[in-house]
Amino acid sequence: MIAGLAPSLSRYGRGLVPLLWGAGLVGLLTWLPRAEAWFRWLAPEAREVIYPRDDFAVLLLNHLALVGVASGLAILLGVGAALAVTRPWGRDFLPLASQLAAMGQTFPPVAVLALAVPSLGFGALPTVVALVLYGLLPILRNGLAGIEGIDPAVREAARGMGMSPGQILWRLELPLAAPVMLAGIRTSVTVGIATAAIGSTIGAKTLGDPIIAGIVNGNSAYILQGALLIGVLALTLDSLFEAVTPRRG
Amino acid sequence: MSETPRIALKAVTKRFGAETAVDAISLDIAAGEFCVLVGTSGCGKSTTLRMINRLIEHSDGEIHIDGQPIREIDPQRLRRRIGYAIQSTGLFPHWTVARNIALVPGLLKWSRARTRERVEELMDLLGLAPSEFADKYPAQLSGGQAQRVGVARALAADPEILLMDEPFGALDPITRESLQEELRRLQGRIRKTIVFVTHDMDEALKLADRLVVMRAGRIVQQGSPDELLAAPADDFVTSLLGGRDRGLKRAALTPVARLMRRVDAGLPVEPAVAPDEDLRLALSVMLWHRVECLAVVDGRGRVCGSLHLSDLMRAGI
Repeated sequence: MIAGLAPSLSRYGRGLVPLLWGAGLVGLLTWLPRAEAWFRWLAPEAREVIYPRDDFAVLLLNHLALVGVASGLAILLGVGAALAVTRPWGRDFLPLASQLAAMGQTFPPVAVLALAVPSLGFGALPTVVALVLYGLLPILRNGLAGIEGIDPAVREAARGMGMSPGQILWRLELPLAAPVMLAGIRTSVTVGIATAAIGSTIGAKTLGDPIIAGIVNGNSAYILQGALLIGVLALTLDSLFEAVTPRRG
Repeated sequence: MSETPRIALKAVTKRFGAETAVDAISLDIAAGEFCVLVGTSGCGKSTTLRMINRLIEHSDGEIHIDGQPIREIDPQRLRRRIGYAIQSTGLFPHWTVARNIALVPGLLKWSRARTRERVEELMDLLGLAPSEFADKYPAQLSGGQAQRVGVARALAADPEILLMDEPFGALDPITRESLQEELRRLQGRIRKTIVFVTHDMDEALKLADRLVVMRAGRIVQQGSPDELLAAPADDFVTSLLGGRDRGLKRAALTPVARLMRRVDAGLPVEPAVAPDEDLRLALSVMLWHRVECLAVVDGRGRVCGSLHLSDLMRAGI
Protein backbone atom coordinates (compact mmCIF):
# COMPACT_ATOMS: atom_id res chain seq x y z
CA MET A 1 0.00 0.00 0.00
CA ILE A 2 2.67 2.43 1.11
CA ALA A 3 4.87 1.51 -1.80
CA GLY A 4 2.02 2.13 -4.22
CA LEU A 5 1.35 5.54 -2.80
CA ALA A 6 4.30 7.45 -4.21
CA PRO A 7 3.69 6.73 -7.91
CA SER A 8 -0.06 7.30 -7.62
CA LEU A 9 0.61 10.56 -5.81
CA SER A 10 2.93 11.71 -8.55
CA ARG A 11 0.39 10.70 -11.19
CA TYR A 12 -2.40 12.64 -9.50
CA GLY A 13 0.12 15.34 -8.68
CA ARG A 14 0.52 16.15 -12.35
CA GLY A 15 -3.20 16.79 -12.68
CA LEU A 16 -3.37 18.57 -9.36
CA VAL A 17 -0.92 21.36 -10.14
CA PRO A 18 -3.01 23.08 -12.85
CA LEU A 19 -6.09 22.71 -10.62
CA LEU A 20 -4.27 24.48 -7.82
CA TRP A 21 -3.12 27.29 -10.09
CA GLY A 22 -6.64 27.56 -11.52
CA ALA A 23 -8.07 27.82 -8.03
CA GLY A 24 -5.46 30.49 -7.28
CA LEU A 25 -6.60 32.41 -10.34
CA VAL A 26 -10.24 32.29 -9.28
CA GLY A 27 -9.23 33.28 -5.77
CA LEU A 28 -7.29 36.22 -7.14
CA LEU A 29 -10.31 37.35 -9.18
CA THR A 30 -12.58 37.40 -6.14
CA TRP A 31 -10.00 38.86 -3.80
CA LEU A 32 -8.63 41.72 -5.92
CA PRO A 33 -11.79 43.93 -5.92
CA ARG A 34 -11.77 43.79 -2.10
CA ALA A 35 -8.07 44.28 -1.65
CA GLU A 36 -7.87 48.05 -1.60
CA ALA A 37 -6.11 48.04 1.76
CA TRP A 38 -3.38 45.79 0.41
CA PHE A 39 -2.62 47.95 -2.62
CA ARG A 40 -3.00 51.41 -1.05
CA TRP A 41 0.70 51.63 -0.13
CA LEU A 42 1.65 51.26 -3.82
CA ALA A 43 -0.35 54.29 -4.84
CA PRO A 44 -0.92 56.43 -1.76
CA GLU A 45 -1.97 59.52 -3.72
CA ALA A 46 -4.24 57.93 -6.26
CA ARG A 47 -8.00 58.40 -6.21
CA GLU A 48 -8.59 54.76 -7.08
CA VAL A 49 -6.39 51.87 -6.04
CA ILE A 50 -8.23 48.96 -7.66
CA TYR A 51 -8.53 49.15 -11.46
CA PRO A 52 -12.09 50.38 -11.92
CA ARG A 53 -12.88 50.48 -15.61
CA ASP A 54 -13.67 46.76 -16.16
CA ASP A 55 -14.34 43.73 -14.10
CA PHE A 56 -11.15 41.63 -13.89
CA ALA A 57 -13.12 38.53 -14.88
CA VAL A 58 -14.25 40.22 -18.10
CA LEU A 59 -10.67 41.20 -18.91
CA LEU A 60 -9.49 37.68 -18.16
CA LEU A 61 -12.10 36.07 -20.38
CA ASN A 62 -11.36 38.50 -23.18
CA HIS A 63 -7.65 37.85 -22.79
CA LEU A 64 -8.22 34.11 -22.89
CA ALA A 65 -10.49 34.38 -25.90
CA LEU A 66 -7.87 36.36 -27.84
CA VAL A 67 -5.12 33.90 -26.98
CA GLY A 68 -7.43 30.95 -27.57
CA VAL A 69 -8.45 32.05 -31.06
CA ALA A 70 -4.91 33.06 -31.97
CA SER A 71 -3.36 29.85 -30.61
CA GLY A 72 -5.96 27.71 -32.28
CA LEU A 73 -5.16 29.32 -35.62
CA ALA A 74 -1.42 29.16 -34.97
CA ILE A 75 -1.63 25.45 -34.13
CA LEU A 76 -3.67 24.71 -37.25
CA LEU A 77 -1.33 26.69 -39.47
CA GLY A 78 1.92 25.69 -37.76
CA VAL A 79 1.26 21.97 -37.50
CA GLY A 80 -0.34 22.01 -40.93
CA ALA A 81 2.67 23.72 -42.48
CA ALA A 82 5.12 21.44 -40.67
CA LEU A 83 3.28 18.40 -42.01
CA ALA A 84 2.89 19.86 -45.49
CA VAL A 85 6.56 20.63 -46.04
CA THR A 86 7.61 17.18 -44.82
CA ARG A 87 5.36 15.37 -47.34
CA PRO A 88 6.97 14.35 -50.62
CA TRP A 89 4.92 16.94 -52.53
CA GLY A 90 5.85 19.76 -50.16
CA ARG A 91 9.53 19.01 -49.68
CA ASP A 92 10.53 21.90 -51.93
CA PHE A 93 9.29 24.34 -49.33
CA LEU A 94 11.08 22.74 -46.38
CA PRO A 95 14.16 25.03 -46.46
CA LEU A 96 11.96 28.11 -46.72
CA ALA A 97 9.81 26.99 -43.78
CA SER A 98 12.87 26.20 -41.65
CA GLN A 99 14.35 29.62 -42.35
CA LEU A 100 11.09 31.38 -41.54
CA ALA A 101 10.78 29.47 -38.31
CA ALA A 102 14.31 30.37 -37.31
CA MET A 103 13.99 34.00 -38.33
CA GLY A 104 10.70 34.51 -36.51
CA GLN A 105 12.33 33.82 -33.18
CA THR A 106 14.53 36.87 -33.51
CA PHE A 107 11.56 39.17 -34.13
CA PRO A 108 10.19 40.96 -31.03
CA PRO A 109 6.40 40.64 -30.54
CA VAL A 110 5.97 44.38 -30.10
CA ALA A 111 7.37 44.88 -33.58
CA VAL A 112 4.85 42.44 -35.01
CA LEU A 113 2.10 44.34 -33.26
CA ALA A 114 3.38 47.68 -34.48
CA LEU A 115 3.48 46.34 -38.02
CA ALA A 116 -0.07 45.00 -37.79
CA VAL A 117 -1.69 48.31 -36.80
CA PRO A 118 -1.17 50.31 -40.02
CA SER A 119 -2.69 47.57 -42.13
CA LEU A 120 -5.44 46.35 -39.82
CA GLY A 121 -6.24 49.30 -37.59
CA PHE A 122 -6.86 49.10 -33.84
CA GLY A 123 -8.63 46.53 -31.68
CA ALA A 124 -8.84 42.79 -31.37
CA LEU A 125 -8.22 41.87 -35.00
CA PRO A 126 -4.65 43.16 -35.35
CA THR A 127 -3.88 41.70 -31.93
CA VAL A 128 -5.07 38.27 -33.03
CA VAL A 129 -3.12 38.56 -36.27
CA ALA A 130 0.04 39.54 -34.44
CA LEU A 131 -0.43 36.72 -31.93
CA VAL A 132 -0.97 34.20 -34.70
CA LEU A 133 2.13 35.32 -36.59
CA TYR A 134 4.29 35.29 -33.52
CA GLY A 135 2.82 32.10 -32.06
CA LEU A 136 3.09 30.26 -35.36
CA LEU A 137 6.85 30.13 -35.38
CA PRO A 138 7.65 28.03 -32.29
CA ILE A 139 4.93 25.62 -33.38
CA LEU A 140 6.30 25.39 -36.90
CA ARG A 141 9.88 25.05 -35.69
CA ASN A 142 9.08 22.30 -33.18
CA GLY A 143 6.76 20.59 -35.62
CA LEU A 144 9.58 20.38 -38.13
CA ALA A 145 12.07 19.28 -35.48
CA GLY A 146 9.68 16.62 -34.25
CA ILE A 147 9.05 15.13 -37.68
CA GLU A 148 12.58 15.53 -39.03
CA GLY A 149 13.89 14.01 -35.80
CA ILE A 150 12.31 10.63 -36.53
CA ASP A 151 14.90 8.00 -37.41
CA PRO A 152 14.74 7.63 -41.22
CA ALA A 153 15.15 3.86 -40.81
CA VAL A 154 11.82 3.73 -38.96
CA ARG A 155 10.05 5.46 -41.82
CA GLU A 156 11.84 3.26 -44.36
CA ALA A 157 10.77 0.15 -42.48
CA ALA A 158 7.20 1.42 -42.25
CA ARG A 159 7.14 1.95 -46.01
CA GLY A 160 8.79 -1.38 -46.64
CA MET A 161 6.17 -3.17 -44.53
CA GLY A 162 3.42 -1.71 -46.72
CA MET A 163 2.01 1.10 -44.57
CA SER A 164 0.17 3.79 -46.51
CA PRO A 165 1.28 7.43 -46.21
CA GLY A 166 -1.76 8.11 -44.02
CA GLN A 167 -0.95 5.21 -41.71
CA ILE A 168 2.64 6.40 -41.46
CA LEU A 169 1.44 9.87 -40.53
CA TRP A 170 -1.09 8.82 -37.89
CA ARG A 171 0.58 5.80 -36.35
CA LEU A 172 4.20 6.79 -36.64
CA GLU A 173 5.00 10.42 -37.32
CA LEU A 174 2.41 12.17 -35.16
CA PRO A 175 2.86 10.00 -32.05
CA LEU A 176 6.65 10.19 -32.32
CA ALA A 177 6.70 13.93 -32.98
CA ALA A 178 3.98 14.71 -30.40
CA PRO A 179 6.19 15.47 -27.38
CA VAL A 180 8.32 17.94 -29.35
CA MET A 181 5.28 19.45 -31.06
CA LEU A 182 3.49 19.88 -27.74
CA ALA A 183 6.55 21.62 -26.32
CA GLY A 184 6.34 24.11 -29.19
CA ILE A 185 2.63 24.67 -28.65
CA ARG A 186 3.29 25.15 -24.96
CA THR A 187 5.91 27.80 -25.62
CA SER A 188 3.65 29.48 -28.14
CA VAL A 189 0.63 29.65 -25.82
CA THR A 190 2.65 30.79 -22.81
CA VAL A 191 4.35 33.52 -24.81
CA GLY A 192 0.95 34.37 -26.29
CA ILE A 193 -0.53 34.97 -22.83
CA ALA A 194 2.18 37.50 -22.14
CA THR A 195 2.16 39.04 -25.60
CA ALA A 196 -1.62 39.49 -25.70
CA ALA A 197 -1.27 42.07 -22.92
CA ILE A 198 0.52 44.33 -25.38
CA GLY A 199 -2.68 44.26 -27.40
CA SER A 200 -4.06 46.76 -24.89
CA THR A 201 -1.80 49.40 -26.42
CA ILE A 202 -3.75 49.13 -29.64
CA GLY A 203 -7.18 48.97 -28.10
CA ALA A 204 -7.86 45.28 -27.53
CA LYS A 205 -9.49 44.53 -24.19
CA THR A 206 -7.04 42.35 -22.28
CA LEU A 207 -5.43 41.93 -18.90
CA GLY A 208 -2.90 44.43 -20.23
CA ASP A 209 -5.49 47.22 -19.72
CA PRO A 210 -4.70 47.76 -16.01
CA ILE A 211 -1.00 47.69 -16.80
CA ILE A 212 -1.22 50.29 -19.55
CA ALA A 213 -3.54 52.43 -17.45
CA GLY A 214 -1.14 52.11 -14.55
CA ILE A 215 1.80 53.22 -16.67
CA VAL A 216 -0.12 56.15 -18.13
CA ASN A 217 -1.47 57.34 -14.75
CA GLY A 218 1.59 56.45 -12.72
CA ASN A 219 -0.47 54.00 -10.67
CA SER A 220 1.69 51.05 -9.65
CA ALA A 221 -1.25 49.27 -8.00
CA TYR A 222 -2.96 48.83 -11.39
CA ILE A 223 0.23 47.50 -12.90
CA LEU A 224 0.68 44.93 -10.17
CA GLN A 225 -2.94 43.76 -10.45
CA GLY A 226 -2.65 43.16 -14.19
CA ALA A 227 0.75 41.54 -13.86
CA LEU A 228 -0.44 39.19 -11.09
CA LEU A 229 -3.37 37.99 -13.15
CA ILE A 230 -1.29 37.49 -16.30
CA GLY A 231 1.42 35.68 -14.37
CA VAL A 232 -0.95 33.29 -12.64
CA LEU A 233 -2.85 32.70 -15.89
CA ALA A 234 0.38 31.84 -17.70
CA LEU A 235 1.42 29.46 -14.91
CA THR A 236 -1.99 27.78 -14.93
CA LEU A 237 -1.85 27.07 -18.65
CA ASP A 238 1.80 26.04 -18.52
CA SER A 239 1.12 23.51 -15.75
CA LEU A 240 -1.83 22.27 -17.77
CA PHE A 241 0.53 21.51 -20.65
CA GLU A 242 2.97 19.87 -18.28
CA ALA A 243 0.14 17.60 -17.14
CA VAL A 244 -0.96 16.53 -20.62
CA THR A 245 2.50 16.07 -22.19
CA PRO A 246 2.90 12.32 -22.76
CA ARG A 247 5.82 10.62 -21.09
CA ARG A 248 7.31 7.40 -22.36
CA GLY A 249 8.84 4.70 -20.25
CA MET B 1 11.56 -28.31 -65.59
CA SER B 2 10.44 -24.84 -66.59
CA GLU B 3 8.96 -23.79 -63.27
CA THR B 4 8.14 -20.09 -62.93
CA PRO B 5 10.83 -18.48 -60.80
CA ARG B 6 9.55 -16.86 -57.62
CA ILE B 7 11.35 -13.64 -58.54
CA ALA B 8 12.49 -12.82 -62.06
CA LEU B 9 14.49 -9.75 -63.05
CA LYS B 10 14.61 -9.15 -66.79
CA ALA B 11 17.12 -6.58 -68.00
CA VAL B 12 16.31 -4.37 -65.04
CA THR B 13 17.88 -0.92 -65.09
CA LYS B 14 17.75 1.86 -62.54
CA ARG B 15 18.92 5.34 -63.35
CA PHE B 16 19.18 8.16 -60.84
CA GLY B 17 19.37 11.23 -63.04
CA ALA B 18 22.31 10.71 -65.35
CA GLU B 19 23.79 7.95 -63.24
CA THR B 20 23.03 4.31 -63.84
CA ALA B 21 22.92 2.48 -60.52
CA VAL B 22 21.76 -0.86 -61.87
CA ASP B 23 22.55 -1.71 -65.46
CA ALA B 24 20.30 -4.20 -67.25
CA ILE B 25 20.64 -7.10 -64.84
CA SER B 26 18.76 -10.34 -65.27
CA LEU B 27 18.29 -12.79 -62.47
CA ASP B 28 15.93 -15.66 -61.73
CA ILE B 29 15.45 -16.67 -58.13
CA ALA B 30 13.66 -19.97 -57.53
CA ALA B 31 11.15 -20.56 -54.75
CA GLY B 32 12.90 -21.50 -51.54
CA GLU B 33 16.28 -20.29 -52.73
CA PHE B 34 18.62 -18.28 -50.49
CA CYS B 35 20.15 -15.75 -52.86
CA VAL B 36 22.86 -13.43 -51.60
CA LEU B 37 23.77 -10.25 -53.48
CA VAL B 38 27.31 -9.31 -52.66
CA GLY B 39 29.65 -6.59 -53.80
CA THR B 40 31.44 -3.44 -52.72
CA SER B 41 29.56 -0.34 -51.55
CA GLY B 42 27.63 1.40 -54.29
CA CYS B 43 27.56 -1.59 -56.62
CA GLY B 44 23.75 -1.45 -56.81
CA LYS B 45 22.96 -4.48 -54.67
CA SER B 46 20.78 -2.56 -52.21
CA THR B 47 19.06 -0.73 -55.04
CA THR B 48 18.33 -4.07 -56.69
CA LEU B 49 16.82 -5.38 -53.46
CA ARG B 50 14.67 -2.31 -52.94
CA MET B 51 13.35 -2.48 -56.47
CA ILE B 52 11.82 -5.87 -55.71
CA ASN B 53 9.34 -4.39 -53.21
CA ARG B 54 9.03 -1.14 -55.16
CA LEU B 55 10.65 1.04 -52.52
CA ILE B 56 12.57 2.13 -55.61
CA GLU B 57 10.85 1.99 -58.98
CA HIS B 58 12.92 0.45 -61.75
CA SER B 59 13.53 2.61 -64.79
CA ASP B 60 13.64 -0.13 -67.41
CA GLY B 61 13.15 -3.85 -67.79
CA GLU B 62 10.71 -5.98 -65.89
CA ILE B 63 10.49 -7.55 -62.46
CA HIS B 64 8.08 -10.43 -62.03
CA ILE B 65 6.94 -12.14 -58.87
CA ASP B 66 5.37 -15.55 -59.54
CA GLY B 67 5.11 -14.51 -63.17
CA GLN B 68 3.26 -11.26 -62.50
CA PRO B 69 4.92 -7.92 -63.30
CA ILE B 70 5.22 -6.00 -60.03
CA ARG B 71 4.17 -2.78 -61.74
CA GLU B 72 0.70 -4.30 -61.93
CA ILE B 73 0.54 -4.82 -58.17
CA ASP B 74 -0.37 -2.02 -55.78
CA PRO B 75 2.91 -1.19 -53.99
CA GLN B 76 1.41 -1.37 -50.50
CA ARG B 77 -0.22 -4.73 -51.16
CA LEU B 78 2.98 -5.97 -52.74
CA ARG B 79 5.05 -4.97 -49.71
CA ARG B 80 2.65 -6.59 -47.29
CA ARG B 81 3.34 -9.94 -48.89
CA ILE B 82 7.10 -9.48 -48.89
CA GLY B 83 9.07 -9.56 -45.65
CA TYR B 84 11.60 -6.77 -45.25
CA ALA B 85 14.41 -6.54 -42.70
CA ILE B 86 17.07 -3.83 -42.63
CA GLN B 87 20.34 -3.19 -40.85
CA SER B 88 19.08 -0.54 -38.44
CA THR B 89 15.92 -2.64 -37.81
CA GLY B 90 13.61 0.39 -38.04
CA LEU B 91 11.54 -0.88 -35.11
CA PHE B 92 8.90 1.60 -33.99
CA PRO B 93 10.30 3.07 -30.77
CA HIS B 94 6.85 3.83 -29.31
CA TRP B 95 5.52 0.30 -29.82
CA THR B 96 6.23 -2.78 -27.74
CA VAL B 97 8.04 -5.76 -29.23
CA ALA B 98 4.78 -7.68 -29.64
CA ARG B 99 3.07 -4.76 -31.36
CA ASN B 100 6.06 -4.24 -33.65
CA ILE B 101 5.95 -7.86 -34.75
CA ALA B 102 2.19 -7.62 -35.27
CA LEU B 103 2.56 -4.69 -37.67
CA VAL B 104 1.86 -6.42 -40.99
CA PRO B 105 -0.84 -8.78 -39.61
CA GLY B 106 -2.47 -5.59 -38.34
CA LEU B 107 -2.29 -3.99 -41.79
CA LEU B 108 -3.79 -7.16 -43.24
CA LYS B 109 -6.58 -7.01 -40.64
CA TRP B 110 -5.96 -10.39 -39.07
CA SER B 111 -8.13 -11.23 -36.08
CA ARG B 112 -6.70 -10.40 -32.68
CA ALA B 113 -6.46 -14.04 -31.65
CA ARG B 114 -4.71 -15.13 -34.84
CA THR B 115 -2.25 -12.24 -34.58
CA ARG B 116 -1.40 -12.95 -30.98
CA GLU B 117 -0.87 -16.61 -31.69
CA ARG B 118 1.40 -15.80 -34.63
CA VAL B 119 3.42 -13.27 -32.62
CA GLU B 120 4.07 -15.80 -29.88
CA GLU B 121 4.97 -18.46 -32.41
CA LEU B 122 7.53 -16.15 -34.03
CA MET B 123 9.00 -15.02 -30.75
CA ASP B 124 9.52 -18.64 -29.80
CA LEU B 125 10.99 -19.37 -33.22
CA LEU B 126 13.55 -16.58 -32.81
CA GLY B 127 14.43 -17.38 -29.23
CA LEU B 128 12.69 -14.41 -27.63
CA ALA B 129 10.68 -15.61 -24.63
CA PRO B 130 7.26 -13.90 -25.02
CA SER B 131 6.81 -13.55 -21.27
CA GLU B 132 10.07 -11.65 -21.05
CA PHE B 133 10.12 -9.62 -24.27
CA ALA B 134 6.56 -9.08 -25.50
CA ASP B 135 6.01 -5.90 -23.50
CA LYS B 136 9.48 -4.42 -23.82
CA TYR B 137 10.22 -1.39 -25.95
CA PRO B 138 12.92 -1.45 -28.65
CA ALA B 139 15.17 0.85 -26.60
CA GLN B 140 15.34 -1.86 -23.94
CA LEU B 141 16.75 -4.48 -26.33
CA SER B 142 20.33 -5.35 -27.24
CA GLY B 143 21.37 -5.06 -30.88
CA GLY B 144 21.01 -8.78 -31.44
CA GLN B 145 17.60 -8.93 -29.78
CA ALA B 146 16.37 -5.94 -31.80
CA GLN B 147 17.49 -7.63 -35.00
CA ARG B 148 15.63 -10.81 -34.02
CA VAL B 149 12.52 -8.71 -33.53
CA GLY B 150 13.18 -7.16 -36.93
CA VAL B 151 13.34 -10.59 -38.54
CA ALA B 152 10.23 -11.74 -36.64
CA ARG B 153 8.38 -8.66 -37.87
CA ALA B 154 9.46 -9.40 -41.45
CA LEU B 155 8.15 -12.96 -41.13
CA ALA B 156 4.96 -12.06 -39.29
CA ALA B 157 2.43 -12.41 -42.10
CA ASP B 158 4.20 -15.54 -43.37
CA PRO B 159 5.38 -13.98 -46.64
CA GLU B 160 6.79 -16.17 -49.40
CA ILE B 161 9.62 -13.74 -50.00
CA LEU B 162 11.99 -12.19 -47.51
CA LEU B 163 14.23 -9.26 -48.43
CA MET B 164 17.11 -8.60 -46.07
CA ASP B 165 19.38 -5.57 -46.45
CA GLU B 166 22.58 -6.16 -44.46
CA PRO B 167 20.49 -7.22 -41.48
CA PHE B 168 23.48 -8.23 -39.36
CA GLY B 169 25.85 -5.49 -40.52
CA ALA B 170 25.75 -3.46 -37.33
CA LEU B 171 26.20 -6.33 -34.87
CA ASP B 172 29.33 -7.44 -33.08
CA PRO B 173 31.06 -10.47 -34.64
CA ILE B 174 29.87 -12.99 -32.06
CA THR B 175 26.22 -11.93 -32.17
CA ARG B 176 26.43 -11.74 -35.95
CA GLU B 177 27.74 -15.27 -36.24
CA SER B 178 25.10 -16.70 -33.96
CA LEU B 179 22.35 -14.91 -35.87
CA GLN B 180 23.73 -16.18 -39.18
CA GLU B 181 23.73 -19.67 -37.75
CA GLU B 182 20.15 -19.21 -36.61
CA LEU B 183 18.99 -17.78 -39.90
CA ARG B 184 20.41 -20.82 -41.65
CA ARG B 185 18.64 -23.16 -39.25
CA LEU B 186 15.43 -21.13 -39.63
CA GLN B 187 15.64 -21.25 -43.40
CA GLY B 188 15.95 -25.03 -43.18
CA ARG B 189 12.52 -25.05 -41.55
CA ILE B 190 10.60 -22.29 -43.28
CA ARG B 191 12.08 -22.48 -46.81
CA LYS B 192 11.34 -18.91 -47.83
CA THR B 193 12.70 -17.29 -50.92
CA ILE B 194 15.31 -15.00 -49.44
CA VAL B 195 17.18 -12.19 -51.14
CA PHE B 196 19.96 -11.06 -48.85
CA VAL B 197 22.34 -8.15 -49.39
CA THR B 198 25.73 -8.01 -47.72
CA HIS B 199 29.27 -6.85 -48.33
CA ASP B 200 30.63 -9.42 -45.89
CA MET B 201 31.91 -12.27 -48.05
CA ASP B 202 32.18 -14.73 -45.15
CA GLU B 203 28.54 -14.10 -44.33
CA ALA B 204 27.62 -14.53 -47.99
CA LEU B 205 29.53 -17.81 -48.31
CA LYS B 206 27.99 -19.16 -45.14
CA LEU B 207 24.37 -18.38 -45.99
CA ALA B 208 23.97 -18.51 -49.74
CA ASP B 209 22.51 -21.22 -51.91
CA ARG B 210 23.42 -18.88 -54.69
CA LEU B 211 25.85 -16.01 -54.68
CA VAL B 212 25.39 -13.09 -57.04
CA VAL B 213 28.47 -10.92 -57.26
CA MET B 214 27.74 -7.38 -58.41
CA ARG B 215 30.00 -4.61 -59.53
CA ALA B 216 29.11 -1.16 -60.85
CA GLY B 217 25.48 -2.11 -61.39
CA ARG B 218 26.15 -5.35 -63.22
CA ILE B 219 26.25 -9.00 -62.26
CA VAL B 220 29.83 -10.20 -62.57
CA GLN B 221 29.26 -13.82 -61.67
CA GLN B 222 26.67 -16.01 -60.02
CA GLY B 223 26.65 -19.56 -58.74
CA SER B 224 26.88 -21.64 -55.61
CA PRO B 225 29.58 -20.60 -53.12
CA ASP B 226 31.56 -23.67 -54.07
CA GLU B 227 31.38 -22.93 -57.80
CA LEU B 228 32.55 -19.38 -57.27
CA LEU B 229 35.42 -20.39 -55.05
CA ALA B 230 36.46 -23.09 -57.49
CA ALA B 231 36.37 -20.84 -60.54
CA PRO B 232 36.15 -17.12 -59.93
CA ALA B 233 35.33 -15.31 -63.17
CA ASP B 234 37.94 -12.57 -62.89
CA ASP B 235 40.36 -10.78 -60.59
CA PHE B 236 37.57 -8.76 -59.00
CA VAL B 237 35.66 -11.85 -57.90
CA THR B 238 38.92 -13.45 -56.78
CA SER B 239 39.82 -10.50 -54.60
CA LEU B 240 36.27 -10.23 -53.24
CA LEU B 241 36.47 -13.91 -52.34
CA GLY B 242 39.52 -13.14 -50.31
CA GLY B 243 42.30 -13.51 -52.89
CA ARG B 244 44.86 -16.00 -51.68
CA ASP B 245 42.83 -16.50 -48.52
CA ARG B 246 40.14 -18.34 -50.44
CA GLY B 247 41.71 -21.74 -49.82
CA LEU B 248 40.69 -21.32 -46.22
CA LYS B 249 37.33 -19.83 -47.14
CA ARG B 250 36.54 -22.87 -49.21
CA ALA B 251 37.73 -25.14 -46.40
CA ALA B 252 35.29 -23.30 -44.15
CA LEU B 253 32.40 -24.47 -46.38
CA THR B 254 33.30 -28.17 -46.20
CA PRO B 255 32.35 -30.30 -43.21
CA VAL B 256 34.93 -32.62 -41.68
CA ALA B 257 32.59 -35.55 -42.32
CA ARG B 258 33.20 -35.33 -46.07
CA LEU B 259 36.90 -36.15 -45.90
CA MET B 260 37.26 -38.17 -42.76
CA ARG B 261 38.27 -41.83 -42.78
CA ARG B 262 35.69 -43.92 -40.99
CA VAL B 263 38.22 -45.93 -39.06
CA ASP B 264 39.52 -45.45 -35.59
CA ALA B 265 43.25 -45.05 -36.21
CA GLY B 266 43.95 -45.27 -32.51
CA LEU B 267 44.69 -41.55 -32.34
CA PRO B 268 44.57 -39.73 -28.99
CA VAL B 269 41.12 -38.24 -28.26
CA GLU B 270 42.71 -34.83 -27.82
CA PRO B 271 43.14 -32.87 -30.11
CA ALA B 272 39.95 -33.75 -31.96
CA VAL B 273 37.24 -32.22 -34.17
CA ALA B 274 33.55 -33.02 -34.63
CA PRO B 275 32.23 -34.35 -37.97
CA ASP B 276 29.99 -31.33 -38.49
CA GLU B 277 32.77 -28.84 -37.89
CA ASP B 278 34.47 -27.40 -40.95
CA LEU B 279 37.84 -28.12 -42.48
CA ARG B 280 39.13 -24.63 -41.85
CA LEU B 281 38.77 -25.22 -38.16
CA ALA B 282 40.35 -28.67 -38.48
CA LEU B 283 43.35 -27.13 -40.24
CA SER B 284 43.69 -24.59 -37.49
CA VAL B 285 43.63 -27.31 -34.85
CA MET B 286 46.30 -29.29 -36.75
CA LEU B 287 48.46 -26.22 -37.05
CA TRP B 288 48.09 -25.36 -33.42
CA HIS B 289 48.93 -28.82 -32.16
CA ARG B 290 51.48 -29.49 -34.92
CA VAL B 291 49.87 -32.78 -35.93
CA GLU B 292 48.97 -34.15 -39.35
CA CYS B 293 46.00 -36.19 -38.28
CA LEU B 294 43.14 -35.67 -35.89
CA ALA B 295 40.62 -37.93 -34.22
CA VAL B 296 37.02 -37.16 -35.19
CA VAL B 297 34.78 -37.34 -32.15
CA ASP B 298 30.99 -37.27 -32.41
CA GLY B 299 28.52 -35.53 -30.16
CA ARG B 300 28.44 -38.36 -27.65
CA GLY B 301 32.20 -38.28 -27.23
CA ARG B 302 32.88 -41.41 -29.30
CA VAL B 303 35.70 -41.54 -31.80
CA CYS B 304 34.03 -42.07 -35.18
CA GLY B 305 36.95 -41.59 -37.54
CA SER B 306 40.12 -39.69 -38.33
CA LEU B 307 41.09 -36.76 -40.50
CA HIS B 308 44.40 -36.63 -42.32
CA LEU B 309 46.20 -33.62 -43.72
CA SER B 310 47.23 -35.65 -46.74
CA ASP B 311 43.56 -36.28 -47.59
CA LEU B 312 42.92 -32.56 -47.47
CA MET B 313 45.83 -31.97 -49.83
CA ARG B 314 44.67 -34.64 -52.24
CA ALA B 315 41.07 -33.38 -52.26
CA GLY B 316 42.43 -29.99 -53.16
CA ILE B 317 39.92 -28.08 -51.13
